[in-house]
Amino acid sequence: MPGGGDVGGGAQAVCYRYDGSFEGFLCCVYDSVYRRETPLCITAESDVPALLGAERCVGTDGERAARVRDSIARRISPRALELCRNVFCSCLSQKELHLLRFLLRGYREGGGICQKNGDELVSRLLSAERHLLGEAHLLKGFTRFARAEGLLVAFITPKNYVLPCIAEHFCLRLAQERFAIVDRTHGAALLHEEGRARVLRVESLRAPELSAEEAGWQALWKRFYDTVAIEGRENPRCRMSHMPRRYWENMPEMADLL
Amino acid sequence: MDLMEKLSILADGAKYDAACTSSGADRPGFALPMGCCHSFSADGRCISLLKVLLSNECVFDCKYCVNRSSLEKPRAAFTPEELAGLTMGFYRRNYIEGLFLSSGVVKSPDHTMELMIGALRLLRQGHGFRGYIHAKAIPGASPQLVRELGLLADRLSVNIELPSEESLRRLCPNKRREAILLPMGQIAREREEESLALCRPGEAGRFAPAGQSTQLIIGASPESDYQIIRLSAAMYRKYGLKRVFYSAYIPAVADSLLPSLDTKPPLLREHRLYQADFLMRQYGFEAEEILSPALPSLNPYLDPKSNWAVNHMERFPVDVNRAPQDLLLRVPGIGPLGARRIVAARRQGKVDLEQLRRMGIVLRRARHFITAAGYRPPLLQSRESTVRALMDPAVDRFGVEQLSMFHDLGLLPGGGDVRSLTEAVEESVKCLAAAM
Repeated sequence: MPGGGDVGGGAQAVCYRYDGSFEGFLCCVYDSVYRRETPLCITAESDVPALLGAERCVGTDGERAARVRDSIARRISPRALELCRNVFCSCLSQKELHLLRFLLRGYREGGGICQKNGDELVSRLLSAERHLLGEAHLLKGFTRFARAEGLLVAFITPKNYVLPCIAEHFCLRLAQERFAIVDRTHGAALLHEEGRARVLRVESLRAPELSAEEAGWQALWKRFYDTVAIEGRENPRCRMSHMPRRYWENMPEMADLL
Repeated sequence: MDLMEKLSILADGAKYDAACTSSGADRPGFALPMGCCHSFSADGRCISLLKVLLSNECVFDCKYCVNRSSLEKPRAAFTPEELAGLTMGFYRRNYIEGLFLSSGVVKSPDHTMELMIGALRLLRQGHGFRGYIHAKAIPGASPQLVRELGLLADRLSVNIELPSEESLRRLCPNKRREAILLPMGQIAREREEESLALCRPGEAGRFAPAGQSTQLIIGASPESDYQIIRLSAAMYRKYGLKRVFYSAYIPAVADSLLPSLDTKPPLLREHRLYQADFLMRQYGFEAEEILSPALPSLNPYLDPKSNWAVNHMERFPVDVNRAPQDLLLRVPGIGPLGARRIVAARRQGKVDLEQLRRMGIVLRRARHFITAAGYRPPLLQSRESTVRALMDPAVDRFGVEQLSMFHDLGLLPGGGDVRSLTEAVEESVKCLAAAM
């Protein structure tokens, strides 16, 4: 694949700008392959614009995205597509560029690339994926709901964009409930009502006032939390390593320890 | 008595039970199969379940127990409605994955079980609760009641607590060994029957689908580590247990038959027992490979896998590009995940040290035991440097007084006469290297 060499190689110093969606990213891959160029950087609209070289806006086109998606699953492997989707939700810096490099190599090397656990690029993507899935797993436990005006509301502040990874879990568990999980880091919220879920953009959202009943539940939970620890076995270091401090702000039982 | 006060008393009475996992659940959406920690308490333990007693009243008088009948203390019991309301409220807010229900023995084992079954039935059927339930089967209860309990719970447990019949007789005058083993045997049989049945029952008709577990108290009685892990191995084999939990004894009650009240819990020993248990469950080790009658105590300075490795240098080095997965698992610094990554990666090409590092292999430890593309351990590698690389830094963290809780360490410094940790570690490096 001519021009599909190292990132930044070649004479064209072009930067891609896209809308920040996964489909938009797939269109960047499409452009890169068909124009036979490797961009110097790929930035989402919400990112700070890059100052390097010429910038080209890559429009999002559903049909092109579908072609790329299909080619990844077919020419590399379904696992490669899954890895791309996950890494895209992760907080790996310059993830778009790493993913593009991975895909260009994958088209040449085939599905085996996903098993190259010791490869520099692949291990970086795998560890970004683990970081995302690990945080999603933690948040299935650490997310706390409070009832406000008939809605169960939870706030989370994850490093990775975990909502797509935890949505199904909570929609099954709270199938009969109206609930919302607000991701403050990424300005997005999962809203579930009448058995249907959707993700909304949210700008700023204040936590609703805590009702007396809700404060009562939190007090009961706090009492249980404090009682269940065994005196004589205190181990703050162990607690901190299992439950890093950055999660505490959204957990009522930890509020007084912050 | 208000709900807050009851919760305090009944959670306090249940907290010495180490089991809090919600693993093994088959409830998509309602409980995660690999278990899920919802919080971690100040002692660093996972909180997954609302762990409470139904009642802390007890007619038994087990010497070590905070709920023993001869102890003057406030007694309380939840009504089924209170317990169900609390569980539903906590579960809905995602505080918990489910309920862990235990109880003191109220009047008789059968009566207690009837109370527990009533409470769980209200929760499952009255409130439609579909989260995880771990219930304790009360030793001495009738088989029919154990069966009913198992149909409501995901996991059942019967705690052995004391690792030998003699200790049980001495410390638990009202409990008999058979009363503990009988329900364990029944649970194992019921589960086996069900797995062999031609048509599997629906969710509501399944018996303890997440299996059973038990707990052993460490340090309240004189059994050796060897006796303890042999007992665990036998129970995994015989009763198909999912887990054995180990609980370092914390003196909560004064009694002439027990360690004095100022005795510190043997936390390092407990930690080593969990590691040994993990080797048997996940690494394919036999109890006899870990300890022997001649060497009945776990090594405080080395984790049990490293201890095995330094005593079996004839099995190394292992070629990471060829060795079968179970042999890779024997290398210090390579865990189950690392071994799987190596096996997948080497199909795509030779694996070298740099790649191993990127796969998360701990080379500081592993490099003494492996060959890889372009790497062999130096021929004149000193034994001391190998042992030193394996010394467990956890010894530092647990502190010097923990060493005194190991017995029969042979030549290793231990017992009560260790003064300086640095010296003890240094001496044990020499001692272990000399034995290699």
